[in-house]
Amino acid sequence: MRALLLAIVFGSVALAAQTGTPPVTPQDLTDGLKDPGKWLLNGGDYNGHRHSPLTQITPSNVGQLTAQWTFQTGTLGNFQTTPIVIDGVIYATGFGGNAWAIDARSGRTIWRYRRTLPEDMHLCCGTPNRGFAALGDRLFLATADAHLLALDMKTGGIIWDAELADYKVGYSATVAPLAVKDKIIVGIAGAEFGIRGFIDAYDAQTGKRAWRFYTVAGPEDPVGGKSWPPNSDAYARGGGSIWVTGTYDPQQNLVFYGTGNPGPDYYSNAREGDNLYTTSVVALDADTGQRKWHYQFTPHDVHDWDSTQVPVLGELPINGQTRKVVMFANRNGFFYTIDRVTGKVIVAKPFVETTWAKEIGPDGRPVLLPGHLPDEEGTKTCPDLGGGTNFMSPSYDPTSRLFFVTARETCAVYFAFDQKFKPGEQWESGGTSRPRDQKNFGALRAIDPVTATVKWEFRYPTVSSSGVLTTASGLVFAGDGTGNIMAFESRTGRSLWHYQLGASMSSTAGTTYMLDGRQYLLVPAGSMMTAFALPRNVSQP
Amino acid sequence: MSRMISKVWLTIAGLATCLAAGGAARAQEPPAPNPAKNNPHLGNKESIRSGMAMYRVRCADCHGLDAKGYRGPDLTALLAGDYPDERLFNTIRKGVPGTDMPGSQSADDELLLIISYLRDVSAVPATEAVTGNVQNGARLFAAQCASCHRVAGRGGRLGPDLTRIGNARSRAALVREIRTPSEWMAPNYETVTLVLKDGQRIRGTKKNEDAFSIQIMDTRERIQGYLKPDLKEVIYEKESLMPVFGPSRLTDGDLNDLVGYLSSLRGSDVSVR
Repeated sequence: MRALLLAIVFGSVALAAQTGTPPVTPQDLTDGLKDPGKWLLNGGDYNGHRHSPLTQITPSNVGQLTAQWTFQTGTLGNFQTTPIVIDGVIYATGFGGNAWAIDARSGRTIWRYRRTLPEDMHLCCGTPNRGFAALGDRLFLATADAHLLALDMKTGGIIWDAELADYKVGYSATVAPLAVKDKIIVGIAGAEFGIRGFIDAYDAQTGKRAWRFYTVAGPEDPVGGKSWPPNSDAYARGGGSIWVTGTYDPQQNLVFYGTGNPGPDYYSNAREGDNLYTTSVVALDADTGQRKWHYQFTPHDVHDWDSTQVPVLGELPINGQTRKVVMFANRNGFFYTIDRVTGKVIVAKPFVETTWAKEIGPDGRPVLLPGHLPDEEGTKTCPDLGGGTNFMSPSYDPTSRLFFVTARETCAVYFAFDQKFKPGEQWESGGTSRPRDQKNFGALRAIDPVTATVKWEFRYPTVSSSGVLTTASGLVFAGDGTGNIMAFESRTGRSLWHYQLGASMSSTAGTTYMLDGRQYLLVPAGSMMTAFALPRNVSQP
Repeated sequence: MSRMISKVWLTIAGLATCLAAGGAARAQEPPAPNPAKNNPHLGNKESIRSGMAMYRVRCADCHGLDAKGYRGPDLTALLAGDYPDERLFNTIRKGVPGTDMPGSQSADDELLLIISYLRDVSAVPATEAVTGNVQNGARLFAAQCASCHRVAGRGGRLGPDLTRIGNARSRAALVREIRTPSEWMAPNYETVTLVLKDGQRIRGTKKNEDAFSIQIMDTRERIQGYLKPDLKEVIYEKESLMPVFGPSRLTDGDLNDLVGYLSSLRGSDVSVR
């Protein structure tokens, strides 16, 4: 293992020496945002903080941020990507199997990759993509037709192509892979089509699969197997999509992933039991895929509340002790701080209006309120299927110990009905409609993860699907649902700057990097990506 | 995760794919039979139950839980008349241009299940007959409504264009919206009053809004955007700009005539090709 790792790194360094382009080493990934010219991981660092140490843009000068260039994809569909930035080049994935290398100085295309996607895919939500992973001189891309690709970082040419699963029966992939040591970790999607979800790891060099963890436990699993109906194959179509990239703790050598909803989405009788390991966070050994622990947020979910939000890692003072934790703003409306070593809940409270559970009990299970099981007549529950938050990334500032999340205040009438399963056909067994008396709105909320209480909020007139970025200068960048990218003072939530992009940020968040002595803010929204910086004559700290 | 992404792009992408594939070869193929011509679910209790559930999820928002219409038309009345299932299938599949009715990408069988449910609840003809003196209704409309509502390019713009309202609203919905217009205000027609820093008040309908600005059409039909820092206050009113036409203002007989006229408005919208 160690020899292989060194071989990869050495090979990359040798290649870099020939071409002058630094490679991405495992140590670079562990270092996170230490190099100001790089944004190497989906969440900025392995902790998923999306918190940059850069300080050129400050609360006092952010009002002078100016657009430097705009990149247009020229294709259908919206960005959901977090771009990778390496020394003046941006690597971004787009809708419909497209990807680009873009000059970070000018916004001009360097190369474009386009995968010819088959026409007979089964997709709940189109062909968005959430980004590349980078390792060595390669980029790694999960595709809508359920493949994992290794691309040449310099040309966009394919190095290897591994099939994750059969797209013809509903498997697909949108997640940005995660590079850990010599492996590329990726998850599958397609729970709306009765798939059995999994998390895979592939050898970055060869594309050979190293391990697989099923997010839906089979009968052979002594822990999760009993949480599905006995003597039934319900688990085989039990859902558990992976939509969002996980995080990694090098000290414990554990990767953390949130898992999706069980299938079918709404009809309870089809799958009695807790339905492990859906709607959970799982801690897996990065070398073997073995589960160390899991915590299930919504046992037997019937509201399509995927738990595929980012498991943000941190260290918090809890009752006088520093605890390693996972912080998780869940689609079910609760915010959780969980012990990262044991998987036990430390504190959990709602961060939006929730009507389905009174609280999270001492045993970690939600204390359910009556009347929220979807049926043919419809039951009103808050939040709606979009959840208290969703696939948009939060941010965590370890200095102020504030967790920032785009919150959704919504309710829905949930319906459920029996629906026969047919491979390759959408299989949700229900749906939702909007209550007439409901006013939906969104907000950026700052949460104290020690107490799980909201410290401040900035309200939006409509809901938003934007991710959040914070910087060490005390700034929060977030998007509303109407096309604004905004900057706030992180301590107070005071609005400092906004710019109308013309399209709202959906699942995307800002990234920031240094280039030629200037700090850039990069914002993908709609089919555009806009780079902002301070004018050259602005005084900088 | 489902349904969080607008499926509009899927529709556009699908359309683009069809166009790119070219229609020449397909044009020579015989048209596929309409699936509703032989609907195996009609009268089947289990199918009707499934169809009801799907209807409630996908259609009830606009057509009402009982299919008797809310913002959208009364489907029971529609099917009680001469409206063949093949046409209903095509309407669900393609949507209705110029209205809020979108097309559906669901499997043919799911549409057939919904039709089986609608046929079941429409088996008894609707008791409400379309009546009214359309000519008198047109006169009433010209006198009392046309200053704010437009029909076929004539009339005001403060309220919604009613050129195709007969396709888009049930009779009950029309009555409700005339008698109690504040019960439900259509998106883009919610009443707001902006208070400027000097105390001046501007009333109108909200066209758009974010945290920093608001766009309105004021009562003089001036469209204009305002930055919120320039305003003293934004008042979101619960009353529609449309006056209440109670029985003292519009008799039941005149209401019947007016609704008859509005129900007859199914003309083409020049903005829809």
